[in-house]
Amino acid sequence: MREKKVEQYDVVVIGGGAAGMTAAIYAGRARLSTLIIEQALVGGLATNTNEIENYPGFPEGVTGKGLMELFHQQAKKFDVKFKLTDVRKVELEGEIKKVETFRNIYEAKVVIIASGGRPRVTGADKEEDYLGKGIAFCATCDAAANTGKTVVVIGSGDAAIEEGIFLTKFANKVVVSIIHDEGKMDCNEIAKAAALANSKMEFQWNTVVDHFEGDEELKTVVLKNLKTEALIPIDCHTCFEFIGYIPNTDIFKGLIDITNKGYIVTNENMETNVEGVYAVGDVRDRYLRQVATCVGDGATAGVGAEKYIAESEAFVSHVMKEDKPGVAYVFNAIEADQRELLSEIEKMELDYKDQYYFSKIDVYKSKGLANRLGVKEYPAVAIIKDGKVDCIITENISKESLLKALK
Amino acid sequence: MKEVTIDCLGEACPVPLIKAENALKEIEVGDLLIVQIDHSCAMKNVPEWARKNGHNVEIEEVDDGEWEVVIEKV
Ligand SMILES: Cc1cc2nc3c(=O)[nH]c(=O)nc-3n(C[C@H](O)[C@H](O)[C@H](O)COP(=O)(O)OP(=O)(O)OC[C@H]3O[C@@H](n4cnc5c(N)ncnc54)[C@H](O)[C@@H]3O)c2cc1C
Repeated sequence: MREKKVEQYDVVVIGGGAAGMTAAIYAGRARLSTLIIEQALVGGLATNTNEIENYPGFPEGVTGKGLMELFHQQAKKFDVKFKLTDVRKVELEGEIKKVETFRNIYEAKVVIIASGGRPRVTGADKEEDYLGKGIAFCATCDAAANTGKTVVVIGSGDAAIEEGIFLTKFANKVVVSIIHDEGKMDCNEIAKAAALANSKMEFQWNTVVDHFEGDEELKTVVLKNLKTEALIPIDCHTCFEFIGYIPNTDIFKGLIDITNKGYIVTNENMETNVEGVYAVGDVRDRYLRQVATCVGDGATAGVGAEKYIAESEAFVSHVMKEDKPGVAYVFNAIEADQRELLSEIEKMELDYKDQYYFSKIDVYKSKGLANRLGVKEYPAVAIIKDGKVDCIITENISKESLLKALK
Repeated sequence: MKEVTIDCLGEACPVPLIKAENALKEIEVGDLLIVQIDHSCAMKNVPEWARKNGHNVEIEEVDDGEWEVVIEKV
């Protein structure tokens, strides 16, 4: 095994889709050294769709690829670095996190997980043999190659029906396999009406894929009617599967909180349960998965990363000094009694500032520093000796008790 | 360690994938296969196929819209 090369960054973003690139734009603009690691095409899932009509700023609509190219350019402008390979392993605990690829170890103060999802497959017989060779998940990528041909679309959600309609601009016939009874689709009503009115679209109700057939490339999709058990072979050039997405979280299992469906749990600041680790975009447990929501997540995490790193630096340089013992008073400035205690501490500081150093941490603005000290209730005093927390005092905080603890 | 380059510039899917599959059969473990592509569809299926089969993959963006997929056979 060759040695892996180690490189340091402030922020490493895993995944170069809409969410990851937005987080990186914010981090890069804040002058943090930022790396995006992307295993395939920069732009992610959005590059799979031809038309994005609901992302603000583009009244005429925009292609997913075109939009993502703009994100890419903007990230590069802020000096974000891109590395095109897959992340295999991460170590997320502690102040320096590690992100491993097959040749490198990237050390980072903050990791932002933006790994999105991958298409769900049907699991039908012989599917594996034809992935990329007739079975596809991206209409935009493969539409032109299907000009004048027959294609099959599996699914009835927004992606399936909208991409199916798009495919009719190229293909002669688009056969849609739908698991539900006649007339029932999972997509929005506008798409449904447009599809039903489209003369190039044909619907196979109550069907699922039974198996795939072909030689080097796919030739036939064999559907099965769930009610009659009849097998329905359909010759086609390409079969597009749009039956949902699975979050890319395998490498994070056991390291951070993940729902039973595999999505990463965060708070509204995009923070996971591990300090300095954020999750954004489709990979997160959330209500809506769109480019607009990804962008919001990315902005939040990018700013969060900046704050977290600034706090870490302040923590080491101001709170955890090694040259003499320290008093860190943690309080909430909106509580009157805690403000009173603050003036006591400030008086004490005047008398003792040569022997001890004093820091005052207001949790009203941010709880980050308090969390680092391990202080959960306020007011509290953390006594610091040799650059480490020696003890935490929460009761009877007074000059006497502090002097005793500092001894 | 040998290095083999295949030119798939101008080729749409699934041609790059099929060419890469055949070329990979010809080389030894530890050798590198470099697939030159300029269709973004191949950026999705070539690296994914190679990783699924356990090989190491790294991609270089040679130019806007042009890539070299570097596959180390494992
Ligand atoms: C057909 C279709 C149509 C759509 N239409 C619209 C629309 O009209 N409007 C709209 O707003 N949204 C639309 N969406 C949804 C939108 O595309 C997504 O919500 C958005 O692109 C998700 O972005 P993301 O950054 O969270 O994840 P992704 O874009 O999925 O990005 C994640 C990236 O992480 C990479 N990755 C994963 N694991 C690793 C790893 N281990 N190492 C390195 N890289 C890794 C992946 O390769 C991927 O590029 C559509 C989606 C589809 C499929």
